[in-house]
Amino acid sequence: MKKHLWVMAMAGAAAVLSLAGCGTSAQSGGTAASSAGSQSADSKAESQSQAKSGGQAIRIVNGKIEIDEPLKAFAKKYQEKTGQEVVIESLGGGVDINGTMKGYLAAGNMPDLFVFGGEGDYQTWKDYMTDLSGEEWASQTEFGFKSEDGKTVGFPYAVEGYGITYNKDVLKAAGIDPASLTTYDGFKKAFEAIDQKKGELGLSAVCSVAAESGQMYWSTGNHLFGYYLSGGLKRGDTTYIDQLKSGKTDTERLGQFADFMKLLFDYSDKNTLISGTYDDQLALWAQGKTAFITQGNWIDPSLPDYSVKFECGIAPLAFTKEEMKGVLADCPSWWAVYNKGTNIDACKAFLKELALTEEGQECLVTDCGMISPYTTCKVSPKTPLAMSLKTYVDAGNTYSWQWTKMPEGISMNATGKVFELYAKGEIDKDGFVNMMQTAIADYVKK
Amino acid sequence: MEGKAKKITTYLPAAIGAAMVCCGLYFDFYNRDFWGRGPLLAGGLLLLVISLYLVPGKKHRVIVNGLFLLPLIGAFFITVLIPFIFGIFYSFTDWNGIKFTQFVGLKNYGQMFHAPDYLYSLLITFLFTVFNMVSVNIAAFFLAILCTSGVKGRNFYRASFFLPNLIGGIVLGYVWQFIFNKVFTSLVAGSVSMLTSPNLAFFAILIVSTWQYAGYIMMIYVTGLQGVPRDILEASAVDGAGALKTLLHIKLPMIANTFTVCIFLTLVNSFKQFDLNYAITNGAPSRILGAKAVASTEFLALNIYNTAIARNRYAEGQTKAVVFFLILAAVSLTQVSISKKREVEL
Repeated sequence: MKKHLWVMAMAGAAAVLSLAGCGTSAQSGGTAASSAGSQSADSKAESQSQAKSGGQAIRIVNGKIEIDEPLKAFAKKYQEKTGQEVVIESLGGGVDINGTMKGYLAAGNMPDLFVFGGEGDYQTWKDYMTDLSGEEWASQTEFGFKSEDGKTVGFPYAVEGYGITYNKDVLKAAGIDPASLTTYDGFKKAFEAIDQKKGELGLSAVCSVAAESGQMYWSTGNHLFGYYLSGGLKRGDTTYIDQLKSGKTDTERLGQFADFMKLLFDYSDKNTLISGTYDDQLALWAQGKTAFITQGNWIDPSLPDYSVKFECGIAPLAFTKEEMKGVLADCPSWWAVYNKGTNIDACKAFLKELALTEEGQECLVTDCGMISPYTTCKVSPKTPLAMSLKTYVDAGNTYSWQWTKMPEGISMNATGKVFELYAKGEIDKDGFVNMMQTAIADYVKK
Repeated sequence: MEGKAKKITTYLPAAIGAAMVCCGLYFDFYNRDFWGRGPLLAGGLLLLVISLYLVPGKKHRVIVNGLFLLPLIGAFFITVLIPFIFGIFYSFTDWNGIKFTQFVGLKNYGQMFHAPDYLYSLLITFLFTVFNMVSVNIAAFFLAILCTSGVKGRNFYRASFFLPNLIGGIVLGYVWQFIFNKVFTSLVAGSVSMLTSPNLAFFAILIVSTWQYAGYIMMIYVTGLQGVPRDILEASAVDGAGALKTLLHIKLPMIANTFTVCIFLTLVNSFKQFDLNYAITNGAPSRILGAKAVASTEFLALNIYNTAIARNRYAEGQTKAVVFFLILAAVSLTQVSISKKREVEL
């Protein structure tokens, strides 16, 4: 009996230790899940991070891994200045941000500021966002994310834009004025002229486009298709996206778009077009083997990797017969303040500092290489494509990114595939228009 | 009198323990900031166990054994069983990864079988499973024969055939994607990548999968072949059996159970194929199927992943995963029972 009691006491102690281990790690670490027993109901529980109750550091989940370092440097400066500690946690490079955040929420470990990427994410997270309309910066930008009832809930930290990025040196050598690239005919003339001089210009093809559906669906299905949705329209004009959400498309406009895509695909490097990755596409253009690439100002940081010497700029993907003078520029993602966090005011103060002070602007524009969405920003960008984009933003020649409001995953699961078939020549213009229409209608219906 | 005291010592800890567990659970759900919830829960459980032990009876040994098993069982419950049960539960709701608002009954299940992309994935996964099972086992078996045949440097072969299995599927996938897209197209000038044609892309995945997995299965066959008793082999040699006859009539029946294991492993593994599929094609290229575009190489696991992650339809993805589990369980149990029967016959 005595012996048994001993054995049992030890076993019991082991069990307690293993359970208590779960408990303490949740309290101190703040990253692990909560204690074992509460696993089941976590997802519904009103939760507050354990980490927060200890110190008053605010925690940001940032979705752009590229700007991790500059942000951390700024956070450090901010702490020296105000004593407020800011922890930056950067996700990206293939990490499923939404999935990670859902895990954080379930574990009661939500950050004070979190990133979200547009309409779809907003629908998922809207119950957890703080109204930021009263903030000073909200009135100084037109890029803030607004909820259905017009309240600003998303903090914009960068403007990105894209269209057809061109190699200015090649265009000059071929005698083409970039300013003429504002209509379908303008592009057609330019492509033909460059194609004739391909040999002497050292080009292997005119354009660098990638339309493979497994990995490049975001470029075709989101970015290029984005021009169909909002190219040439006023900011806030939601005609075509509203149509798309109800499963319809405009055949006339889609036809024009299809014509332009055909033109683009015809003058593209074939292998890259149907099997290339983003790196292949970029390398082709950055090594000076093509004149155009269908990417935006986010390739700026990669240019030094290829030691790009030529000048470059962004032109609109003008698929219409009428002139289209602007490019699609908008915020790729926003930061929201978690409304059940303990430091909402500290978060607001930090955002204000980042948006409106010179150090903050310096961080976003110079260090991160982005364009500030704020009208009061005096710092100007130094990288070539950002500078080119800035001229559009300053002139008010931009169209909004309505494609971010498309049903989630549509480019990957539906439209991207149609682009690939079109690029491979398996369907013609009518096939493209019809198939696109059925693909969208089917996807919306489900 | 003594009996009463004993009763109190038995039931008092039980009552206190139960109360503590309840409090601990309450704090876990509704008041997470309270630091004592962990100790409360653990202490309560401990008291419960002690009271269980104090109950007169002969089962003390079982309780002690159970306690020692607790950490393992607990881990298994938390990481496997509870999520599994919750998964089944969520498949009947409109769960979006955060919360659910209503029960939808069998709607998810019904909807799934009307989705052409899912049915296509199902078909192509079955095809892939059959092809891959055959090709991996044939390749592995011949490699195993090579490695047990007494050829020079067989240990080197064994190690090098096994090596691909040690590299992660994602890495392998991207390496092979590069090979298909760049190396092969430059070797044969003017050719386009295998990954751009729906049928060839399917075989591209098959090639890589076989290349990766055959080495592993080979090891099992090698072990089986080495386990064939020497005396039987010698007896057959004395009787004048050639190499082929020995293989067909001695070795094959002797390693029938190895076949069962290997076929089971390849079956389950091919059916669950995800990482190579994700890295090499991610569903591309597209195939025209009745005026619609479908992803030609999107296997079931990838389809589930895309439904849940890319389309943000967690409940639907969960439903597909439940069906995936059922199919996989049915197919593999059938296979094992058939193979077992054959083993006896042989």
